[in-house]
Amino acid sequence: MQTAENVVENPLRAGMRLERTAEPCAVVIFGASGDLAKRKLIPALYRLVQERLLPAEFAIIGLGRTAMTDDEYRDRMKASVLEFSESKQIDEEVWQSFAQGMKFLPSNIENAECYQALAKMLEEVERERGTQGNRLFYLSVAPEFYAEAVRQLGAAGLTKSEKGWVRVIIEKPFGTDLESARQLNQGILQHLDEKQIYRIDHYLGKETVQNLLVFRFANGIFEPMWNRQYIDHVQITNAETVGVEGRGGYYEKSGVVRDMIQNHVFQVLSLVAMEPPAALNAESVRDEKIKAMHAARAFTPERVHTDCIRGQYGAGAIGGKPVPGYREENGVAPDSATETYAMVTMRFDNWRWSGVPFYIRSGKRLSKRVTEIAIQFKQAPHQLFGTAMEHITPNQLIIRVQPDEGITMRVAAKVPGQVTRIRDVNMDFRYGASFGVQLAEAYERLILDCILGDSTLYARKDMTERGWELVMPILEEWGASKAEADFPNYEAGSWGPEASFNLLEAEGRKWRRT
Amino acid sequence: MQTQESTVTFSALKGVDAAKLEKELTAMWGASSGESADDPAVGVTRACVLNLIVYAEGQEERAEVDALLEVVVQRHPCRALLVVADRGAEEAKLEAFISTRCQLTSRGAKKICGEQITIAAAGSAVVDSAATAVAPLLVPDVPIFLWWKDIPHYEDKLFDRLSELADRVVIDSASFDNPHFDLTRLAQILGERSESGSISDLNWGRLTSWRSLVASFWDVSDYRASLSKIESVRVEYDPPDRAPGEIAPKALLAVGWLATCLGWEIEGADAAAGEEEQRRFTLRAGERSLEVVLQPTEDVAGRDGMITSLTIRAEGGDEFHVALRPEENKLETGAKVGGGQHEVSRVLGYEARSEGQRLSSELEILTRDVLYEKAVAFAARLLGTIKE
Repeated sequence: MQTAENVVENPLRAGMRLERTAEPCAVVIFGASGDLAKRKLIPALYRLVQERLLPAEFAIIGLGRTAMTDDEYRDRMKASVLEFSESKQIDEEVWQSFAQGMKFLPSNIENAECYQALAKMLEEVERERGTQGNRLFYLSVAPEFYAEAVRQLGAAGLTKSEKGWVRVIIEKPFGTDLESARQLNQGILQHLDEKQIYRIDHYLGKETVQNLLVFRFANGIFEPMWNRQYIDHVQITNAETVGVEGRGGYYEKSGVVRDMIQNHVFQVLSLVAMEPPAALNAESVRDEKIKAMHAARAFTPERVHTDCIRGQYGAGAIGGKPVPGYREENGVAPDSATETYAMVTMRFDNWRWSGVPFYIRSGKRLSKRVTEIAIQFKQAPHQLFGTAMEHITPNQLIIRVQPDEGITMRVAAKVPGQVTRIRDVNMDFRYGASFGVQLAEAYERLILDCILGDSTLYARKDMTERGWELVMPILEEWGASKAEADFPNYEAGSWGPEASFNLLEAEGRKWRRT
Repeated sequence: MQTQESTVTFSALKGVDAAKLEKELTAMWGASSGESADDPAVGVTRACVLNLIVYAEGQEERAEVDALLEVVVQRHPCRALLVVADRGAEEAKLEAFISTRCQLTSRGAKKICGEQITIAAAGSAVVDSAATAVAPLLVPDVPIFLWWKDIPHYEDKLFDRLSELADRVVIDSASFDNPHFDLTRLAQILGERSESGSISDLNWGRLTSWRSLVASFWDVSDYRASLSKIESVRVEYDPPDRAPGEIAPKALLAVGWLATCLGWEIEGADAAAGEEEQRRFTLRAGERSLEVVLQPTEDVAGRDGMITSLTIRAEGGDEFHVALRPEENKLETGAKVGGGQHEVSRVLGYEARSEGQRLSSELEILTRDVLYEKAVAFAARLLGTIKE
């Protein structure tokens, strides 16, 4: 949908049906020949061209250390679209037309002169392509350069545009701990307004995550039950089958809490736990998300021991194929205490969720790749059917984020026959089944949102810091008690350490078999 | 995506018994599930997001619709109720067939299935019985679409009854035999029906990508001033196959759309002027006059009534155009502003969508499209100025 302002400005945008298309702009990609640009950004931008969602007045300036000409850069990007796009195809003429607006500037991110050259190139591009002074800087570089790039942009006067807007997309990870996240926020806010900053979390670009808002607030039947009166507990599973994939060195400094939980999982968690927003705009939605996260109970050292479990995988097999243990991976210390699995019990001290635990687990080399939210409702108050109910689990609502995006409601039903036997049955809604459309890649959606100035699906400053605030006690406690870790404590291809099952069992619950 | 189909013929000489049909369908579903009872991952998911009533005349159209429903079901698992009419038959007859349509997911796992009930009506049963046979077979609580694969017979009792059941009627103004008359009649019907139900036009859907590309010129703030200085609009179109001498409805809808959004009114038509078959109209935008030229191109097979180019010129030599290169499946767009000082052009892919895909898109829309209704009304007024 086009925004109301857009319709007023462009009367031909009135009415329905017309897809929202991007405003004219120049996208400057820092780290333009890097992995993310090749695998995700350029294929996403080309897909937007194919979908006719980018205007003619559009340009890309790639910045990178490697010296190359515009044509060489275009050729490289073309090869990456062929390799990494879903269709693995390119329409030569359409590509040529798109690539006309693509330039490359060899640059060193720390060198002020490069920003002068960038400013000049931007003026040139704006003149040639008519990008209306709108500039989007995409920081797809190592995290230690985020603050420096913004500082240099500010010093070169590029964080403001006389005519159009300036926005900056910052990739993950946003800081490595609370202190560094705060410093980073402080640093970039010296040169940019919060409204100009788009901290990307590609989980929020996934269709099912967006559907959570629709599911909760467009359906009258769920919201009245979405509280402690009816919900027993919530399980969020974020499981990967992959290991560290050659990034052992990076992962050693990171671990699953930093890599997944404090950002992606907390974003999803806040959408489940939040109150209804007053309006569907970036600030209202993000206000409610942060409010929910402020109600999350802090982790004391005692709580880390009672409510959290860490794990690290040993050798095992995934889908029948033997895989090495974490400590045998390249770049990993043989006595590494880095967690590749974490289970965290979140408890909210507010009216809605008091007494309802949110069990979160995330890990590498688990049995199956799945991200899902399972809402477990309370048992029916009276066991009317006696032993017939024995193997019945309470109602569950499962929201699958990936793969096979969809929603399943588990209910009890009578097995046909003379005797009353009751079984669980699943009522399935799958995106692929009800809307047989190819879901857009998260990056397509998020880049388009940014160009349109919609930051609803981006993380705000307070949320990034709150995520770190919550996990810091866990990281500190685990850091201080490395010797107690007893790693490796789960086999690759299993569902994680035994202790995580025991923890739920001690509370009279168990992990859902996903 | 793979489609599996199974059909059970259900004779219903004494009328269609909805309960019996439902029972047969349930049995058919049971059989499908049973095939893979040992492996739940290969079971079937019966899904229904809408009812789609389709009207087709004769066996040829029936075969076309069958093929098209395969595409529609991939996107909208539904209950399709296909009414096949043989109006000329002497003997009144009503027969029903049921079938399920399943698609395997990309991983070859669970099948997602919709179902189809075909009602073959002949002779007087077409008008007398077909609509009453359809009504009890509609799945409750999901939207009802009627796709009338023919020129709407507004006075026809069957059309009247089926459209009364439907939340939305889908037509195709590209199939009009007599576009000038039919479009004028459609405008009248839309005016009369505006409160009761809404009409969707596949041809308006075809125009969407053109509208989007034309509109996107004025997303650029620098160009926006030219919107109020438009001097001429030229639309070139392939002549409609069914009425080569008339203006293609799509071209008229495009002008209707521009005029509605920009508040243009009709000043007059100059039907006889200019090149052969060219139509020129004078419109008024506030105090200014502007010219609209509708120009048929050479008739090329397979382009039936398509727009091939749309050019808007404004004061000071500003020019904006979108053109189709059909043989290459490409669209060209270009803007020239500031007396030619600034020029931007590009080439885009033009993905010719199948009728099934177009119908699927229409089934996503439930609300009334007021802009479409106004565009049709304007097109009809424009036609009203032509003196034959």
